[in-house]
Amino acid sequence: MSAYLVRRLLQSIIVIIGVTLLSFLVLHMAGDPTYLYVSERASNEEIAAARVALGFDRPLPEQYLNFMAGLLQGDLGTSLRSRQPAFDMVMSRLPATLELTIFAMVLAVSLAIPIGILSATKRGTPVDGGIMLFAMLGQSIPSFWLGLMLLLFVGLQLRLLPISGHVPVLEPLLQGNFNEAAANFPSAIRYLILPGITIAVFSLSRNARLIRSSMLEVLSQDYVQTARSKGLPSRVVIMRHAFRNALVPVVTILGLEFGFLLSGVVVVETVFSWPGVGRLVFNAITQRDIPVVQASVVTFSMMFILLNLFVDVLYVRLDPRIRLH
Amino acid sequence: MNARVKRLLAAGAVGLLAVPLAVSAQMPDDTTLVIAQSVDVGTLDPAIVGSRSEANIFGHVFGTLYQIADSGELVPYFANSYSISEDGMEWTFTLNEGLTCHDGEPLTASDVAYTFNRAADPANAFTGNTSGFVLPSARFVSAEAVDDLNVRIVTSTAQSENLRLGLLSEVYLHCEDYYSSLTLEEAALAPVGSGPYRFVEWVPDDYVLIEKVPDFTLREVNFERIYWRVIPEASTRTAELIAGNVDIIANVPPDQVDAVNNSGTAEVQAVQGTRRIYVGFQFGENFADSPGYDAIQNTDVRVALQYAVDVPTICSTLLGVECTRASSMVNPPNDNPNLTPYPYDPAMAEQLLDEAGWPRGENGVRFDITLMGPRGRYLNDEAVVQAIGQYLTDVGVNVTLDIRDWSSDYLPLVREKNVGPLFFLGTGGSTWSALYDMADLSAPDAGTNYTNWANEDWFALWNETQGVDPDTERTNVNIMLEVFYNDPPWLLLYFQPDFYGVSNRIEWSARRDEKIVVYSAALAE
Repeated sequence: MSAYLVRRLLQSIIVIIGVTLLSFLVLHMAGDPTYLYVSERASNEEIAAARVALGFDRPLPEQYLNFMAGLLQGDLGTSLRSRQPAFDMVMSRLPATLELTIFAMVLAVSLAIPIGILSATKRGTPVDGGIMLFAMLGQSIPSFWLGLMLLLFVGLQLRLLPISGHVPVLEPLLQGNFNEAAANFPSAIRYLILPGITIAVFSLSRNARLIRSSMLEVLSQDYVQTARSKGLPSRVVIMRHAFRNALVPVVTILGLEFGFLLSGVVVVETVFSWPGVGRLVFNAITQRDIPVVQASVVTFSMMFILLNLFVDVLYVRLDPRIRLH
Repeated sequence: MNARVKRLLAAGAVGLLAVPLAVSAQMPDDTTLVIAQSVDVGTLDPAIVGSRSEANIFGHVFGTLYQIADSGELVPYFANSYSISEDGMEWTFTLNEGLTCHDGEPLTASDVAYTFNRAADPANAFTGNTSGFVLPSARFVSAEAVDDLNVRIVTSTAQSENLRLGLLSEVYLHCEDYYSSLTLEEAALAPVGSGPYRFVEWVPDDYVLIEKVPDFTLREVNFERIYWRVIPEASTRTAELIAGNVDIIANVPPDQVDAVNNSGTAEVQAVQGTRRIYVGFQFGENFADSPGYDAIQNTDVRVALQYAVDVPTICSTLLGVECTRASSMVNPPNDNPNLTPYPYDPAMAEQLLDEAGWPRGENGVRFDITLMGPRGRYLNDEAVVQAIGQYLTDVGVNVTLDIRDWSSDYLPLVREKNVGPLFFLGTGGSTWSALYDMADLSAPDAGTNYTNWANEDWFALWNETQGVDPDTERTNVNIMLEVFYNDPPWLLLYFQPDFYGVSNRIEWSARRDEKIVVYSAALAE
């Protein structure tokens, strides 16, 4: 197991080099970033001076190698816009994004499992048809549109929940301010509901369909029939014999799902004015704040790598037949 | 699920909905004003401020030497007067007595000198509005304290008095003791200002909170605190305004104006902004082989095309507001009153094009040309470019549209003067100086002379006008604008309208210059 983990972590270095190089090249392919840092009336001399000040006058390989040299020393550079350490900027926004992602994940999984099981056990009935119809809709509706509709109907017309904004919980918790986190919690949940639903709908729909098909496959296995013929109650057959065995493909998807949710928050953070990493990255890309984009890419890549590693380890716990090589 | 669990879940849901929103404190009340902008500040260092969103906040936290009033008049603020040396190169400002920064440190002439010199110091490598535009444009060389109340600003050339005064009045004054003790990284996070509001808190991508300085006497302000919220999505800003959670929002999309006005809680104020929107005619020789380039080198063709575009209809249908067509590149009331906007008269356009030697061919086309334009920079820019293309096509000019993403594609091309032969663009203007508006064309090779226009009369007069008395300046400006009108490098369009949503609970008037200034904002009677 340890050798496997070390090998996977070493592989992650190649991944980091690949994604940082790719994002670096893409950002520079989209024109000279200097123009975004000078006044619209700046003269050619002022633009040239800004180019030198920002370091964009140096050859691209040199700029990239400097970044990688900094990365090896744990320095991801300083934001060209705000003059703050880029990694600190990412980490300061990460708690808000994690709150949203975790909330959406919990919502999606906690609803997808019972809905998927219900659909599988009621296969061919109107209940199954209705669930699958909504699942198809949930995967088809753009999150941007859904977010705006929820915001306008639930937030503005019904005035049931806040339209936009954020109340922090994870950040005070990480800073050891437990009282503040506890005091914020009820309000934080209210602010989380609309953006959380917006993000969760796609994931919920996809996972409900996946769990349904996985359950249908397992329910047709001989050992399930045997369990039924032994006279075990239906609930025990479904939950203890069928569901656990249907979980392996689901866990694979859920591991990726968390990463998918993380990367998919940009639009929802924008619609609901959620101060997370998604908006930071989006703004950094439009402003060509390259150190911030690179710091975000490195952070997200590491999270994806660790998540996948976690999923691999979880396989072994779920199915002892699986071995890691 | 048994009945007990159901009851518990129901109680939890009701309890959750009953939780007041007070934990999120950014709500308007009798002493709190909430303003929503689309973009967050990127820094809190006054020397780096570059965007309009940042300047709106910093204008309340930091003082300036003079101030640009709503009317466009330059009025005394931290300085009460100034004098200019005979050669026009040294300006001495006299400060008011008793000025302080928010940490209690007296703000004296040496602090003002420090402010200017810090922004200009190449070692700091600042790229904001002050160092990247204001100081170079004002030909700043250095600043020094004469005594506690008098500060001398040395420049390299004489310049229009109003232009230089307006430029120098964009510099945010701060105290030396505090800022010289900080690294640049620290200064970007912890501002100590000098204006009527002090900085309290910045939650990135969420809000900036500022609160009233009780003993500030130079400006009367009504609200105790102001939240500057960041709400990037226009529909969300509109919803928050209608819900009463925000008092002022900027950039209301035209299609949401009716929703706001019909809400009963807020109204939209539409103002004719100062940003000049135009189509540039490219004179640069790198376009010499492009179709249509030869045609637009002819002054008569450029004048003819002015008649071909129905600007008022573009405004009313695509921008949601009635507008008057621009008659020059200068904002009213500083423009030439003797010039009238070109009317929409396609028959006249066709006649002038015939007379200029570009008649319709057998296929009905006079000449082919490409019109380049940005997507996502100006109000409904893509639709406006398409409309202009159609109007030109209607008079026989076969237009090919080339519309590109603003930041990644169009902006670099504009800055490299590599757009054309026709290109759509906007440029920021002012209410306080004709020369400021004309400074885009300060030299044939000026960075902002994107058309590469080289009219000798214009540039000779531009150079003559620097440092002359105000009457001569006015006369020269009027002559230059006539030159521009008769030999147009731009197809003149409109001054971009700005839409502000304002809650009915407050009284506040939007300005034309894109600045949000809320000193005088007050609760409605």
